[in-house]
Amino acid sequence: MDASTPDLDACSREPIHIPGSIQPHGVLLALGGPERTVLYVSANAGAVLAVPAAEAPGRPLAAVAGPALAAIPAEILRAEPEAGAGAVQAGAVDTPAGAFQVIVHAAGPLTVVELERTPAGDEDRLDRLYPRVRSAIEELEGLTDPAAVAAVAARRVRGLTGFDRVLIYRFDADGNGTVVGEDGNGRLPSYLDLRFPASDIPAQARALYLLNRLRLIPDAGYAPVPLLAAPGPATAAPLDLSRSVLRSVSPVHVAYMRAMGTAASMSVSIVAGGRLWGLISCHHAEPRHVSFAVRTACDLLGQVLSVRIAAGEERAGAEARLRLGAVRARLITALAQADSFPGGLADRPDDLLALTGAEGAAVVAGEDCRLIGRTPPEETVRALAARLTAEDAEEERDGDGVFATAALPALWPEFAGCRDTAAGLLAVALPGLRAGRLLWFRPEVVRTVRWAGDPRKPVEAGAPGRPLGPRHSFAAWRETVRDRALPWAEAEREAAAELRRAVVGIVLRRAEELAALNAELRRSNRELEAFSYSVSHDLRAPFRHIVGFAELLREREAERLTDTGRRYLATIVDAANTAGTLVDNLLQFSQMGRSELAPVDVDMAALVAEVRATLAPEAAGRTVVWEVPALPVVRGDPVMLRMVWQNLLGNALKYTRTRDPARITVTRETADGEAVFCVRDNGVGFDQAYVGKLFGVFQRLHRVEEFEGVGIGLANVRRAVERHGGRTRAEGAPDRGAAFYFTLPAAALRS
Amino acid sequence: MSELKPILLVEDNPRDLELTLAALEKCQLANDVVVARDGAEALAFLSRRDPHTGKPIGLPAVVLLDLKLPKIDGLEVLERVKSDPETRQVPIVMLTASREESDLVRSYRLGVNAFVVKPVDFQEFFQAIRDLGAFWAILNEPPVGCARRRDWTPAGG
Repeated sequence: MDASTPDLDACSREPIHIPGSIQPHGVLLALGGPERTVLYVSANAGAVLAVPAAEAPGRPLAAVAGPALAAIPAEILRAEPEAGAGAVQAGAVDTPAGAFQVIVHAAGPLTVVELERTPAGDEDRLDRLYPRVRSAIEELEGLTDPAAVAAVAARRVRGLTGFDRVLIYRFDADGNGTVVGEDGNGRLPSYLDLRFPASDIPAQARALYLLNRLRLIPDAGYAPVPLLAAPGPATAAPLDLSRSVLRSVSPVHVAYMRAMGTAASMSVSIVAGGRLWGLISCHHAEPRHVSFAVRTACDLLGQVLSVRIAAGEERAGAEARLRLGAVRARLITALAQADSFPGGLADRPDDLLALTGAEGAAVVAGEDCRLIGRTPPEETVRALAARLTAEDAEEERDGDGVFATAALPALWPEFAGCRDTAAGLLAVALPGLRAGRLLWFRPEVVRTVRWAGDPRKPVEAGAPGRPLGPRHSFAAWRETVRDRALPWAEAEREAAAELRRAVVGIVLRRAEELAALNAELRRSNRELEAFSYSVSHDLRAPFRHIVGFAELLREREAERLTDTGRRYLATIVDAANTAGTLVDNLLQFSQMGRSELAPVDVDMAALVAEVRATLAPEAAGRTVVWEVPALPVVRGDPVMLRMVWQNLLGNALKYTRTRDPARITVTRETADGEAVFCVRDNGVGFDQAYVGKLFGVFQRLHRVEEFEGVGIGLANVRRAVERHGGRTRAEGAPDRGAAFYFTLPAAALRS
Repeated sequence: MSELKPILLVEDNPRDLELTLAALEKCQLANDVVVARDGAEALAFLSRRDPHTGKPIGLPAVVLLDLKLPKIDGLEVLERVKSDPETRQVPIVMLTASREESDLVRSYRLGVNAFVVKPVDFQEFFQAIRDLGAFWAILNEPPVGCARRRDWTPAGG
């Protein structure tokens, strides 16, 4: 790689589980085969061997063991530790070279025996530690707040180990660590609340921490002791020291410790739910060695800590879910009562934001775009929605229909400009007739975080060829987290997914209701048709009978009646005739709405001539001046168009009754591609103020004694014209005539 | 006058029947008017056969057929008459109170010769009946006040 850019990942690639060396505070032997052959031995093993270390590889243990080693019961060294189990303390031995704790574990087919020097003056044994461990556990059991749990754990571990400073260190999803609990004596600086970039404890180290929960470096200034291997295939691969307690650590780590001003360190993994939650990290200004028993006690506390924290978080999560559940219930209630989901959601802005802990939200459905709280401008929101649609983003992600990112600018750089409102985005797609989506926004975290070093530069950009080393400076400086929002919590994601499911349910129910409504409408339409048929058939008959028999009475019995009687009779006939006409017109009106158009070529000139002929009796005895221009052939329903002319020309004739001469002018022109027809007269006209009523059903502007009629003719005209895709309009003034216009679309015109 | 074919009026409503008869009377038609009060009676009249030749006897000059009838309705009577080769040529005029299109369309499809929606206005009705008579029956000199209603009872009835 280019030497001018430091290999930030060099550390994360270092094979730390096979360093080929150990720390000097103990001796390591790896035995294999039925003879317990020494396959590996640390170069300092001469202290416990009968031969120099270099002579031991390849020979049976029995042949090389010194008196101390030989004193260890053979079954301990022969016992195959269970695969996967951690290191087991097999006992303690005293040798002329000092006191050792014997720790045995399996590394593949090999048995690894480590003899760790017992710390000077160490009196700690597990049974003596027990009362302190028990009281620590009891104290932790009473706590639920994670911060309090961490503080107590730090204090208790420091009490057990005597380290200068104990940190409880927590990893976030990206592997960055935060110090959440601390206890110290002031000899080392406080790191409480500091954040450490993920590269400080690289991924493979975190993996190793899951495997081997306890690590100890009694003296960072140690000189590594190499491992000597026996020749042959059994040692072709380097010895895996993943579970070794003496494993030599990375030189980078040792340099890191020196930079931190610590000479000794110990760390205990905190594992919750199979995941590395954090570490108990202990440091000392001087070299410090703690016994295996104390370390085991710390491990126990670490496990209790992780259980307590998991329980506390579960409870916090449950409380959050409960709270969000109430918010969701309110939103769903509002939705179920609203006409549309955008309206229903926008009606409860506070709940909508509280549901996911967002600062802004948007509901986008077709043309409808509603913004709530702090959001990007509408066009940006629409662009985001379009991008989500284009990528089918909600479905692509985790399959729960929720899209979530806390780093939108990094994901989609074109939206980096809205980081101050939308660095974080949570979105769900909503189905339905108007497919849409719900978006929640969180601004860039302009929170300042105390970083232990600049996370963007974990490594000093040294001169080419200079070995990688951790930062030399650990002064905390403030780092603004750029382009990132607070991450969306699992409970918040779930709340969004739940809301989406509820909307889906409501939409589906609406669709069912709509279908039911449709069926109901069809049914009532059929009933209406049956009703008008029955009106047509049954109501007309009695009117006909009244008229018929009254006429017969007049014809055959008239001479027996007085004048008054004859007038009554005429009124009966007249009234029944009017009622019959009313029924007929109403039926025509309803039929106009229901019946299918039967378009054919209609010669308007011929139609007008025919209609004029039928109106001849009305015009008889009057002077009527007709002006009718050449009229085109149009495409339309002949019955309806005939009715249009019948009404317009009939009206013109009727309302010019008082004029001599009556002038009725038909005009025809083309405007905007439409054919415009007009019937103008010089009759009584009407007040333009009532023009809106003219085309309504049963709207009359004149008293019935002046001009007969039932007030439905123009309503029929409007219906017929609109069925053809045209429009109607009227102009008039009292006593100054009227003009009625109707249009037919260009498509109706025949050239 | 016996050579004049009768007019068969099929009408169930007594008021309509009386009005129609009055109109026919006003038209001064020479034809006898035979009245049937439902579809079954009408069909029985039309299906009378000469026992020797098997030919229909006394077929009317025209049938004025109400659409809505008890037992067998007007459309069915129309269909049966028009589907029987022996009676197909008898002109049928549908009289109805209904303006419903479907009736009209069905009637034409079944071969009706004319279709009259009974107008409310008696004068129009009279006009319509007179036109029908002039077209389908034979106009005769008016014996004033001569009601030619001839009730007919189905054989064996």
